[in-house]
Amino acid sequence: MSLFQIVPDRSQVNKQEIILSIRDLSVEYQTRRGVLSAIDTLSLDLYKGEVLGLVGESGSGKSTLGKAIMRMIPQPGRITKGQLIFKNQDLMQYDEKQMRDVRGKQISMIFQDPMTSLNPVQRIDNHIIEAIRVHEPSVTKDEALSRSESLMERLGIGRRRLNEYPHQLSGGMRQRVMIGLALALKANIIIADEATTSLDVIVEAQFLDLLRELKDEFGLTILLVTHNIGIVAELADRVAVMYAGRLAEVSSVDELFHNPKHPYTQGLLRSVPNIAMDSQDLYRMDGTPPNLVMPPSGCRFHPRCPHVMDICHQKQPWLVRVDEIGEGDEQVGGYDKHLASCWLHQEYQGSTQARRY
Amino acid sequence: MELTFGTLCGGGLLIVGLFLLYAIMTGSRSLRNYVITRLLLVLPMIWILVTLVFVMMRVLPGDPISTRLKPGTDQATLDRLRERAGLDRPIYEQYWDYLNDIAHGDLGVSNNVEQDRPVTQIIGRRLPATIELVMPAITLMLIFGIAAGALSANKHKRTLDYSFRITSVVAYAVPIFWLGLMLQIVFARQLEFLPVAQRINPRFANDFTHRTNIYLIDTLLSGNGQAFGDVLKHLVLPTITLTIALIGVFIRLTRSNMIEVLQEDYVTASRARGVPERKVVYFHALRNSFIPIMTLIGLQVAVLLAGAVLTETTFSWDGLGKLLRDGIALRDYPVVQGTVVVFAITVGVMSTLTDILYAFIDPRIRF
Amino acid sequence: MATTTVEMYVKPRTSIMGTIRKTWRTWGGVSLVIAIILAILHLGVKLDGAKGLLQIWLVFNVLFATALILSSQTVRQARRWHGADWWLAMISGLILVLFIIIGIIPEYLAPYVYDVEAGPARLGPREVPANYILITRVELPYENFADIGYDINTGELIERTSNAKSIAAIDEKANRIVGQERDTAGIKVEINRDATGLQPIEALNILSTSDVTADRGRPLVAIVGEESQFKDLVSEYPNLRIVGTVGPAYKGGFLFGTNLLGQDVFSRLLYGTQNTLMIGISAAICSCLLGIPLGLISGYLGGILDRVLSLVMDSLYAFPGLVLAIAIAAVLGPGIGNIILAIAVIYVPTYFRLVRSQTLAIREVAYVEAAKSLGATNPIILIRYIFPNVIASVVVIFSINVADAILTGAGLAFLGLGLPETVPDWGVDLSKGSQFVLGGEWWLVTFPGLAIALLTLCFSMLGESLSEILNPRLNRA
Ligand SMILES: Nc1ncnc2c1ncn2[C@@H]1O[C@H](COP(=O)(O)OP(=O)(O)OP(=O)(O)O)[C@@H](O)[C@H]1O
Ligand code: SF4
Ligand SMILES: [Mg+2]
Repeated sequence: MSLFQIVPDRSQVNKQEIILSIRDLSVEYQTRRGVLSAIDTLSLDLYKGEVLGLVGESGSGKSTLGKAIMRMIPQPGRITKGQLIFKNQDLMQYDEKQMRDVRGKQISMIFQDPMTSLNPVQRIDNHIIEAIRVHEPSVTKDEALSRSESLMERLGIGRRRLNEYPHQLSGGMRQRVMIGLALALKANIIIADEATTSLDVIVEAQFLDLLRELKDEFGLTILLVTHNIGIVAELADRVAVMYAGRLAEVSSVDELFHNPKHPYTQGLLRSVPNIAMDSQDLYRMDGTPPNLVMPPSGCRFHPRCPHVMDICHQKQPWLVRVDEIGEGDEQVGGYDKHLASCWLHQEYQGSTQARRY
Repeated sequence: MELTFGTLCGGGLLIVGLFLLYAIMTGSRSLRNYVITRLLLVLPMIWILVTLVFVMMRVLPGDPISTRLKPGTDQATLDRLRERAGLDRPIYEQYWDYLNDIAHGDLGVSNNVEQDRPVTQIIGRRLPATIELVMPAITLMLIFGIAAGALSANKHKRTLDYSFRITSVVAYAVPIFWLGLMLQIVFARQLEFLPVAQRINPRFANDFTHRTNIYLIDTLLSGNGQAFGDVLKHLVLPTITLTIALIGVFIRLTRSNMIEVLQEDYVTASRARGVPERKVVYFHALRNSFIPIMTLIGLQVAVLLAGAVLTETTFSWDGLGKLLRDGIALRDYPVVQGTVVVFAITVGVMSTLTDILYAFIDPRIRF
Repeated sequence: MATTTVEMYVKPRTSIMGTIRKTWRTWGGVSLVIAIILAILHLGVKLDGAKGLLQIWLVFNVLFATALILSSQTVRQARRWHGADWWLAMISGLILVLFIIIGIIPEYLAPYVYDVEAGPARLGPREVPANYILITRVELPYENFADIGYDINTGELIERTSNAKSIAAIDEKANRIVGQERDTAGIKVEINRDATGLQPIEALNILSTSDVTADRGRPLVAIVGEESQFKDLVSEYPNLRIVGTVGPAYKGGFLFGTNLLGQDVFSRLLYGTQNTLMIGISAAICSCLLGIPLGLISGYLGGILDRVLSLVMDSLYAFPGLVLAIAIAAVLGPGIGNIILAIAVIYVPTYFRLVRSQTLAIREVAYVEAAKSLGATNPIILIRYIFPNVIASVVVIFSINVADAILTGAGLAFLGLGLPETVPDWGVDLSKGSQFVLGGEWWLVTFPGLAIALLTLCFSMLGESLSEILNPRLNRA
């Protein structure tokens, strides 16, 4: 079955080098109704050069995770525990000033709405010049300008456009400007939070093509947050599925689409029109996303799960390997491994070889 | 060229004119069109305001003659006076005359405040005093209002925010003339280190040449340091009063605009680019929220004029506001109407100017 | 100004509005009818006791409504979400309730009636004038000050006091007796100020030995003196007696002092609450009644009507409110109705603009479209669908507006365009007192001003906090 015509080029991925390792991260928001646990003890590794798709329904905490990586959780939220190991350093230990050097320079974020992500009264070139000069104060205005000109040329935005204001650019152009801003600083990791949602289909396709080219050209690592499974199939190397602030499943794209292990992932895939075999089969997941102020006990998916068991109510399943563990396979985590958190795969949950991620 | 109030105003107009010319010449076509249509709209707007004054003062029941006289005046006298004032003629004729007079810069003749002097002349003499009072107040309002509003927005829902908000509500709620009176009691009467009222100690009044009638400028030009200090001292309490009266609303407006801007995506985006927080808040966000604040300054002119009436009355400050009050107290109808008309014209002109400035600053309108 | 999202208009059927609406359905109508009947009985039929009943009824309803709002689920919940804002709203709301109750029943709370000369003029707050006693000869028939005036003999009063204020008070009292007597019998009382220099003993000696039966000359018939200095001495003169004291009533002084006419400033404040509230609230209601329908119609129908109305309203809005009110009040003349009208006119544009812009936004919202497609007529859409959504933000503006109207009313009074001087009103009292600021009678200005400031502060604080609580845009972060 070859549903996915475009097979991502994975040659760039360094399967050994973890560039960012999220360890036991928890984020809470103080809300009117109580403490909302938006991310709960989440661990995830990002390998250098990969595109990791992050999917999950609305409110599952994707954007929160992205912001947490940049340590930009807005009030009234905060990161309650966890580590963000980036280049062997824990970002959680950084002070605000060190963090500013990371933001933009090392890790960059592209937001959903290009219409509102640029300052309406600042010209395009000033955006880029400012970004460059914030991180490299020694660069003169002219140097920064010429740098941004050549970069924008590469992104298909003419010199003339640099002189204009954001509202004079189309949505696709603005999104390219946003990428340009990330590239101008030579960021290692780009977190694209639903960066294409507000673009029309054709512009979206162009944008994704550009992103793929740039990825190889600049050796970027991309965390691609999206609702659109199609985009994941097209662009991502691996996928992480989030549910209610936890990871449900992490695996390579192929593996996930062909052999989903977690009931939530299975439902998710069956509810996507062009993946479900025929439209009658289109699946509607029952129930609503859980209230994260009082999340369900045990597995957070259990109220909606078709395979729910007794243990699901009581104990939280860990994210463990669910693929065949080869003889002498010491490294339990890793780029190629398929992880899921579900009691259906109980044999792994308790096993000595299993490690929680 | 002699520096007088007239030349001062002329200079101001020249600068405004040059600015408009510049805006028209350099702006894009749409900006040019905007400026020109907006300028063309000044006259209709002033016409509406002036008509409003006419409706209020002539068409509503009650008329200038009968309210001016003591009750019990006999009907014959009343009719005679009415006839003399032209109030017996049909309303549209009166309206036509009224507009005609205003167009010719004729606001009638005062009958009680300064007997038989043209109202325009009286207003011309009082205007500098009002300007002298209003300018420092606006400046202080801008400085402190924007600073407090921005700080408050940046610390949204925290202690600093609450204290600024309460301050602004208190500043807004306090009756301005009462505030002036209290300041007089405390600083002028009890502590005795500031003068109670008026613009200048009569002792100094003739020590310098009254060129512009803006005493601060006049005393400076005459090089009379002592008189300058005295004028400054006289200015302190009225300025504080007027500033406090203005600042309450202004802090609130700045704050809510700023809060909205701080929630915009591009603010988050520039944070994500590592732009330092201070620069994000006090450069990007403040600058952007300043654009809507521009138009609010236009609306503040209304508050300012109302405040000037009360402040000037409290401090016996011989400006337009006190003129209005004197007109009421002495039942000098032409003076009241004339002052109100001048206020109307000021409002019309100012709102046009701020709108144009707004368009000039905000690129989204400019193109 | 603030661009607002559609979501804001669809949602606000919450909290306080919901409570008010429910209460209104079950209780408000009946209550209002009863109040109106009582008001007619009181004002129209002039039935005895109707006023008292009306007052009781109003107070009861105010308390009832307050209790209802306080006990409602939403209000209690809001406390957790909005901490400080909730408290601000609550405190200012409760103070307002207090003001309103004072406004309804001032006569039960005030120590004096507002136009009664309760004590010496210009007495400072809590200032106790010395007690004065009237000393006269045993055989003379005087029982109080007035009697001296009635006497055919020319009387002399001796004052002995160091307190200038008390002298003034006695002067005034004596003068008033004189005035009274001139009217009835043409008799003259002279006040011997020379006697002020005498020691108490000297004065008593003169009184005790003077020839009170003489027809000619100026026999001394009575002494007015400070109780503390004279009282003990008098007992040593068998032919003298103490007739009475002046002003036993102001033992504790007056809380906020007295004004130029000797009226109690505090009592006048309590009585003045009614007019001040009346002007502010009535003006705001009048503006609402005009501004909201105009805004609804203008925003909903659009077209030429909308253009013209907007133009006029924008011009009005740009005009300095106070100046406009001055112009109108100057033409209309004094009287509470005219003042309310003058103030109401300047706030019509506030409501018009608010309601119009919201109507424009809601007009496009899906459920209004749906109602239209189901054949709802324009009036029904306006009343059933658009009005309820608009009303929440009107509540916020209304509260701030009342504060503004009160300030404008006080400003008008200060400029001499207020209520007649005989009526108790804070603005008028303040305006009258302002002439004496430099004479040292600071309390004449301070307290009415404080009262205005507190009242407007509560109204605007309530509005401000409510807007913070109800505005989802500001709560998003
Ligand atoms: N500022 C905030 N205050 C309170 N709760 C928040 C805030 N931001 C997010 N949340 C909550 O955190 C949870 C995760 O939100 P998040 O925005 O990360 O979800 P998401 O997966 O990005 O959803 P979407 O696909 O709609 O963008 C949600 O339940 C949301 O209600
Ligand atoms: S753990 Fe239980 S409830 Fe959760 S997904 Fe697996 S089977 Fe369903
Ligand atoms: Mg999101």
